[in-house]
Amino acid sequence: MTSFLGFLGTWVALLSAVALAVRGFVALRRPGQATASSLAIPAVGLIAGAVVAMGALEIGLLANDFSVEYIANNSATTTPFLYKMASAWAALEGSLVLWGLVLAVFTFFIWWGMRRLDDADPLWAGALAVMGVISAFFFLLMATSSNPFQVCTEAGSFGFGCASGSWQPFAAASAPAQGLGPNPLLQNHPLMAVHPPMLYVGYVGLAAPFSFAMASLLIGEAGDRWLRVTRTWTRVAWIFLTAGIVLGGLWSYEVLGWGGYWAWDPVENASFMPWLVATMFVHTAALQMRRGVLQAWSYALVVATFALTILGTFLTRSGIINSVHAFTQSEIGPMLLWFLVLILVGGYGVYAARIQRIGSAPRIDSLVSREGMFMLNNLLLGVFAFVVLVGTLYPMFVEWATGDQVGVGRPFFDRMALPISYALLLAVGIGQVMPFRKAQGRVVWERIRTPMRVALAVAAAWAVLWRPNGWVLGAVLLSTFIIGTSARHLWVTARRAAAKRGSNAAGEAWRALRKDSAYWGGMIAHVGLAVLALGIAISSNQAQHTEVDLPLDQPVDFAGFEVTYVGSFVDEQPNRIAVGTNIEIRRGDDLLSTLAPRLNEYRIQGRQIPSPAVDTGLRGDLYLALAGTPTEDSVRLEMHWFPFIWLVWAGGFLSAAGGLWGWLARPPRRARAEDKEAARA
Amino acid sequence: MPERIRRILAWVVTLGLAGVVGWGFVAGEPSETDRVLALGERIKCPVCQGEAIVESPSETAEAMMDIVAEKVEAGETDDQILDFFTERYGDGIRLDPRFEVRTLLLWLAPAAALVGGAYLIWTRQRRAKEPA
Repeated sequence: MTSFLGFLGTWVALLSAVALAVRGFVALRRPGQATASSLAIPAVGLIAGAVVAMGALEIGLLANDFSVEYIANNSATTTPFLYKMASAWAALEGSLVLWGLVLAVFTFFIWWGMRRLDDADPLWAGALAVMGVISAFFFLLMATSSNPFQVCTEAGSFGFGCASGSWQPFAAASAPAQGLGPNPLLQNHPLMAVHPPMLYVGYVGLAAPFSFAMASLLIGEAGDRWLRVTRTWTRVAWIFLTAGIVLGGLWSYEVLGWGGYWAWDPVENASFMPWLVATMFVHTAALQMRRGVLQAWSYALVVATFALTILGTFLTRSGIINSVHAFTQSEIGPMLLWFLVLILVGGYGVYAARIQRIGSAPRIDSLVSREGMFMLNNLLLGVFAFVVLVGTLYPMFVEWATGDQVGVGRPFFDRMALPISYALLLAVGIGQVMPFRKAQGRVVWERIRTPMRVALAVAAAWAVLWRPNGWVLGAVLLSTFIIGTSARHLWVTARRAAAKRGSNAAGEAWRALRKDSAYWGGMIAHVGLAVLALGIAISSNQAQHTEVDLPLDQPVDFAGFEVTYVGSFVDEQPNRIAVGTNIEIRRGDDLLSTLAPRLNEYRIQGRQIPSPAVDTGLRGDLYLALAGTPTEDSVRLEMHWFPFIWLVWAGGFLSAAGGLWGWLARPPRRARAEDKEAARA
Repeated sequence: MPERIRRILAWVVTLGLAGVVGWGFVAGEPSETDRVLALGERIKCPVCQGEAIVESPSETAEAMMDIVAEKVEAGETDDQILDFFTERYGDGIRLDPRFEVRTLLLWLAPAAALVGGAYLIWTRQRRAKEPA
């Protein structure tokens, strides 16, 4: 039943996607036909098919339908509810279903947006056609080489899991008695239910801006319109991508047991590169809307962003790169590679053919200006993305060219990322105060004077009080400068408006934040970046670590805490046996908390996963992980102290919130119109 | 207070603060990097999926971390320890590639991109200014 429903949904979606592409492209040739109603059936069919496919997979997982190969190999009767749900994206084939669903949802919202337009609109029809092509490709993968709904025709040994399957939905099933369950790492923390979907919405959502850019090039309509929609869709995807990346960091911090949240793993890089280029686009789009420059460059960025998402998918789904996240299967590798070639050749081909007609002349008066700072932003972020790309591909490249193995890992990326990041922070701080067109020294000085002095005062106090190293001090200086310039800007704007209208400044600040939400959303995102940078610098440079044998009831001092092993326990759960210890944390005479780091042994897989325990406080996190099986009278413990690490999550989410503010905080259209009217009167 | 004196005072305070911050950069205590962890980040776990030995919970990685800890204890330098593992497992074990012919492009590409990009922006700007 599950197989049949899934099969049905996949094919309905696939055929709808093809129909959408065909009708959409036909509409481009006959613009009068490019109406929302003419595309209604395929757009609705696509989402209906995708929802049925996802629903079938989830219901099958919850109902332990092991007659489906994927479910037999990635879930078990003993898997808890939440992780059964999350098993839908715990392996390659299932993750494609989520991928398809996100594409379908974005396509549907584009169609919904088109419905609100009055007349035929080739731009939106073209975008839907491109979304149709992309969706068709992914549903084709699901229908052929990576079918998540294959019927299990041969149960695995001892009735566990599935040994082989058939694509035919009515093949005679031979369901195993028990499934293999998801990878233990993926059922060790509830964030597994949130992080991947969030990330996918952002990652896959970048198809939407790409579609609008392509449609705009195809119909040869430049101007503001494509830019407005493309910017909106990029921003939506960017918000989710940012939040998804931060959640991923939080997940690895909470699960992997060494306190790391970012390892420059190829899959992390695969999500970070499109993020960087999308961020570049968000900036050039803002500049282009205001000053009309960099039109051609904006197109190139949008195409690059989407191409990077497909490249990332290829790298991590084809099995050519080893990584924690990579799914080991290589059949879809060649298909993804061809699709990447299609995107690159198609995207940049259309770009090259049409750009002469729409490219705007560079009309920048001076590089010492806000425009120049936007260029610097693109230069730094572009180099950053390039570094990540080269570092990720280099080992493959060397192995292919010489057969030798070269490892490129975290030390390389850290070394490159540090100078770029500090330059970027400085550029953000100065960029926000640079006037447009041509900066006059006097104006810039007026704007940075106070924030600079405040930043110097904070950094000086910090240096005297805590004697941090240069990296931390630099981050303190630059972060306070960014926060200071943003705050000063808001303050000045509000005070000016208050003086003009005779109202109070706080109310005017709120009004400004709402009225020009795109701008202030950006400022909030910058403040988030500053907080994030501060968190990374402090938590990594001032971390403490030790590995000790902790005898029962004998306290050990660490990072100002008194840590005592008070006993162990065994917690038998259906899917795992948790061997845990109770560790009391005291400062002075106060018992702050009792932490319970564990070793979770997953029954079916027989694998032991250490599960750390964290005491989060304002000053930092005390992070404990077992380094061996505890005995009655002693336990071997990894202890980490990460000061102010919560700033990393807070800053990351604040950035995402800034994007959200820019998108949603604008007053409704009618209020804006009244505002305009009032301004005119 | 007359405006001039106030301005001079502001400058003195600013420069004073800048001096303190400058002193902070020079005099800051270098963070006590845990050498064992730092080395653990530079060595790949040979049996894992592209993880460093510090990250991996696998037994091989933990055994290698113990070797690193012993060698640090015994006073070996970072290079000695890295060479020890490179001899046994080959260059692929290093996550921090050496600067050599094979990795020339890797190390130089970022700088080249930075210079190239800056040059592109600069020349476009110059061209735009010239009368058409």
